[in-house]
Amino acid sequence: MLQVEQLKKSFDGFQAISDANLLVPKGEVVAVIGPNGAGKSTLFNLITGHLQADSGHIRFQGKEITSMAPYKICHRGMARSFQLINIFSSLTVFENVQASVIAKHRLDQNFFRPAKKLFIEETLEILDSFGLFDFKDRSCSALSYGDQKVLEIAIALGSKPELLLLDEPTAGMSSEETRRIVNLIKHLSREKGLTILLTEHDMELVFDVAQKIMVLHQGKTIAQGLPQDIRNDKSVQNAYLGETG
Amino acid sequence: MDFATLASQFFIGLSRGMIFFIVSAGLTLIFGVLRITNFAHGALYMLGAFMAYSVSTLFGQGPYGFWLALLVAPIAVMFISLVIERGLLRFIYNRDHLIQMLLTYSLVLIAGDLVKIIWGTEYKSMHIPEALRGSFNLWGASLPWYNAFLLVVGPVVALGLWFFLSKTNLGKICRATATDREMVDVLGINSTKVFAMVFALGGWLAGLGGALIAPTTTISMGMDASIIIYAFLIVVVGGLGNIWGALISSIIMGVGEAFGILFIPGVAIIIPYIIAGVLLILRPSGLLKSAW
Amino acid sequence: MSTNNLKLIENPKGKFNTYLGLGIAAVGIIVLLLAPGFLTQYYVYLLATVFTTALLATSLNLVLGYGGLLHLHHGVFFGVGAYTVAIVTTKTSWPFAVAVLLAPLVAALIALVIGWFCVRLRGLYFGMLTLALGQLVWAIVYRWNALTNGDNGIHAIPVPEFLTSINSVYYATLLILVISLIILYIITKSPFGLMLLATRDNPVRSESVGVNVKRHRLTAFVIAGFFAGIAGVLFVLVERSVAPSLLFWSESAEVLIMCLMGGLTVFMGPMLGAGILVLLSMVVGLYTEYWLLVLGLLLLLLVLFLPQGILGYLMEIYNKSQDKRGGN
Repeated sequence: MLQVEQLKKSFDGFQAISDANLLVPKGEVVAVIGPNGAGKSTLFNLITGHLQADSGHIRFQGKEITSMAPYKICHRGMARSFQLINIFSSLTVFENVQASVIAKHRLDQNFFRPAKKLFIEETLEILDSFGLFDFKDRSCSALSYGDQKVLEIAIALGSKPELLLLDEPTAGMSSEETRRIVNLIKHLSREKGLTILLTEHDMELVFDVAQKIMVLHQGKTIAQGLPQDIRNDKSVQNAYLGETG
Repeated sequence: MDFATLASQFFIGLSRGMIFFIVSAGLTLIFGVLRITNFAHGALYMLGAFMAYSVSTLFGQGPYGFWLALLVAPIAVMFISLVIERGLLRFIYNRDHLIQMLLTYSLVLIAGDLVKIIWGTEYKSMHIPEALRGSFNLWGASLPWYNAFLLVVGPVVALGLWFFLSKTNLGKICRATATDREMVDVLGINSTKVFAMVFALGGWLAGLGGALIAPTTTISMGMDASIIIYAFLIVVVGGLGNIWGALISSIIMGVGEAFGILFIPGVAIIIPYIIAGVLLILRPSGLLKSAW
Repeated sequence: MSTNNLKLIENPKGKFNTYLGLGIAAVGIIVLLLAPGFLTQYYVYLLATVFTTALLATSLNLVLGYGGLLHLHHGVFFGVGAYTVAIVTTKTSWPFAVAVLLAPLVAALIALVIGWFCVRLRGLYFGMLTLALGQLVWAIVYRWNALTNGDNGIHAIPVPEFLTSINSVYYATLLILVISLIILYIITKSPFGLMLLATRDNPVRSESVGVNVKRHRLTAFVIAGFFAGIAGVLFVLVERSVAPSLLFWSESAEVLIMCLMGGLTVFMGPMLGAGILVLLSMVVGLYTEYWLLVLGLLLLLLVLFLPQGILGYLMEIYNKSQDKRGGN
């Protein structure tokens, strides 16, 4: 479904991504792991069009999407959540997700229909499956950190994506909240049949949910494969040990 | 159009660019360090001109009057700036751009009427000192001595700012604050003091610009409205907070305007806006790296 | 990524009761309909000026308050609208209605051109470019003697017979104001309006849920320009003359003050600000020639102590009392 080949990106001479390769098959959960500063967030931003690649290719459903504008990529069926909370701070919880649904249906340039009455069921269904139904009329800035992180993913779901990118979905969360996210990911993958690409620090979570893992080290893909292969891979062990030791 | 006319117009534009630079350097310094969009900068420039007029008049517009005015007026404006910073601005540092802008705009309105109350509404003029009167020959064209004087003052101020920013401790802190405020806070540098001093320095530069322009123009209300727009354009085109960007765009503006007057006198007024518009479209974040 | 967008108040939409709002609006309109019966001509004229300014301020707020864009030179589109009417009626033999219809379209076109450049920039740079390009339009109007009569302006603009009395002008401006406000209100409540708030809060996120943020902002800019153009028409109806000072930046600054004074986050805020400023300048003008000093001091107090504006403040109090009653 998603294919990344020999991707390169540098900032002011610093090579953030030097040779990233990635294959995400339809219906699977794929995780990108790597030490801090390996370039995981940069890779995500390149895939979703928030950054422009220097060279290399990104293909989504067989079509080239390298350096395309984020909104166009979204309309092709790819949505993402962000590592830091990135929500619409003055809107209610309901409107946060509804805004995304409206954009998905390309009604964002409609002037004369009352927004209040649009896509209520679709929005409420998403809120319900994320356990946010009870907060729907609250200002989203009044939510707890954990709930905001969940809302972060819910907004992405509003775009009805085929491929969902989750950038550190459990960053800063308690273990209980992390469980909630794990269950959510499993639910999205199994019941909704979503293809998911995620980065994560929590290795327990990664090996729990991922069917495939790609390891990024200093901007380079050093391994890609099934979880058990990655666990036994020498170069991966070196990369992680090299960092801590 | 012969070469001499072109050359003399070029130097006149360049000298006007020096005034632009002196004013906008203060504005961009304040931008960079305090993150404030100071509409009142034009008002401070106007105050500089009016004060220079008063000091000079006090000495019967004599030879010493001008030099004393050049010394006293900018310092007086500097003290006014200090009062503004301590009394008002420091309460709005964390606020939105619009709020900051409108606070300084309120000072523009207040200063305008205060000038009217203090100096009256009739136009004022100030003599050019004896030593700088007349003009000299430059490749067959005449260049007024006063413009030549401005061409000396401009680089002196630029050099002084360069020395201040790169050789003194306070200057280095200013630069650091402009690029990375958190770091300065972490280092425990007293940013309150830095802010006050930078705003005062900016005020001094505005006052100096006003005092320098005073002998060449009619000193009047409303001289703040046109300079502030020019200065803003220069600062943004140069890259917010970047003094050398301001220098380059000041020169472009000054010379562009001078040639505009030469070639299309009727519509020369639109030249600076066109220059600024085109440069901003070509380089949306300014000519030089912005301090932000 | 820093966005430098306006974030004045976290909750822009009060939980104000819709029926109460409609009730207040209805009573207001009835009072305004009866007003010319018991006011002198001067006050009728003054109210018509308030209507004109109120439309201008409300149109600015679509970009400023809802879009979060630092639009510093909205007066340009107002001036362009007014000049379009003036030029068409004095330099061509086209009917007056054409002039009136053309004015908002020309204003919107200029807004499209200026906005097309501005929406590529963010924060202060956006603001500065609106200022630069707006002043460019001012300079052109100021200098193009053949078309605009230069700094003399255009006076004694002919209007149709039925618009010659101040009372008929009053009703015409009131009617156009109310229709425009209804349309603007519907727009703010539409999907477009909701997404505009979303792009204000978080342009990056808006882009990644599939919104073309630049186009969205440009659309808002053009709509605002269109309605400013209509306000320009109203201005000509009331004043029958135009001058280049309409397009100078300090005029736009006054409109910004109106928006801030009434409250950027409330639909009716800019209107209230416009009403207060226009009437206050008249009252203050009776006592002193230093209106700008008074305005400056007022603005200073406003910025320091009431940055959310009068209606914004009232809304906060109202919301708090509602919360208490709800037992939260």
